[in-house]
Amino acid sequence: MSIQLLETVLLMTIVTYGSRVLPFLLFKGKNVKGFARDFIELVPIALLAALVVPELITPNGTIVIVNNPFLWAGILTFLFSKFVPNLFLGILFGMSVFWGLDKLLV
Amino acid sequence: MSYKADTSNGTIEKGFTYGLSQSLTIAIGYAPVAITFGILATQFGLTFWEAGLMSLFVYAGASQFIAIEMIHQGATPLMIGVTTLILNIRHFIMSLSVVPYFPERSLPWSLGLAQGLTDETFVLNTKVLKNVEGEENRRRVMLGINLGAYATWVSFTILGGIIGKWLPIQFSGFQFALLALFIILTTSSLSKKNYLTYILAAALAVFLKLLIPGKIYLIISVVVAAGIGAWWRGKKASESVGCDSQKSI
Repeated sequence: MSIQLLETVLLMTIVTYGSRVLPFLLFKGKNVKGFARDFIELVPIALLAALVVPELITPNGTIVIVNNPFLWAGILTFLFSKFVPNLFLGILFGMSVFWGLDKLLV
Repeated sequence: MSYKADTSNGTIEKGFTYGLSQSLTIAIGYAPVAITFGILATQFGLTFWEAGLMSLFVYAGASQFIAIEMIHQGATPLMIGVTTLILNIRHFIMSLSVVPYFPERSLPWSLGLAQGLTDETFVLNTKVLKNVEGEENRRRVMLGINLGAYATWVSFTILGGIIGKWLPIQFSGFQFALLALFIILTTSSLSKKNYLTYILAAALAVFLKLLIPGKIYLIISVVVAAGIGAWWRGKKASESVGCDSQKSI
């Protein structure tokens, strides 16, 4: 295991387990409300956007639209999973379409 | 807050085995996702036991997938740590709302039950624990639920890792697998209540990625977009009092 990966797993463990265990150690229990709760609820969808969209639009560091298998495979996968809400089939679909477009658009 | 058992729901003594049997529904859901994680982790350069260790220690599905994507994109451990923190801080809220079931908990129980808390076990525990009488029993039931889910996640990750090792590496489709996964997750979590945050985060991320070197654009765009989204929700909620402004991520 590389030092980098070890550091990564260690940091991930500390922050994740920390979030889980602190209330057990410190609190009698209550509900978080208001801004903090809304913020935490919106993080996953914002992270999905930030992870995916730049990779689709700027795969090589500049904006590419037409000759871009990432973008078109992304759009098709999105549409596919709207109609077939199955994780496994969706991934298979995305990979196959990407593979095909990657061959076609070169 | 007090949680009285629902006595109309039978008087059978519920304990560890009951919890374990309840965890089966989660196990069925976890197994294919864990196998997928194992396969992708090995395709992205981890060994099967590294993937297994990540599942054992981190045990948080979404952030594990995101971590291997970020490792692949060349992000530093610190960046991945910070991203994991802002993603997994939600466990704090779930944990807060579970602890009232265990006012007399000891340190080992606290340390143990906490590790088993995920989105799925939280939902199941909240549903099941209401109907279990006595804190001692509730601890055992939660332990059963958590352990069943945890064991499934870790063992099926390793299985997926072993499968992934034997799959042909040459297939270029694999570089799109994680993006496909995230896109599918997007489809199922995008709603009228969060799509503006999504668009904002996407636009910021593209803009900042072109502007700033490195991966820091991920954290900035997420924090700014979720921050503005939350502020906007708060503003709308205070304008229309009594209207429920949250829900659905």
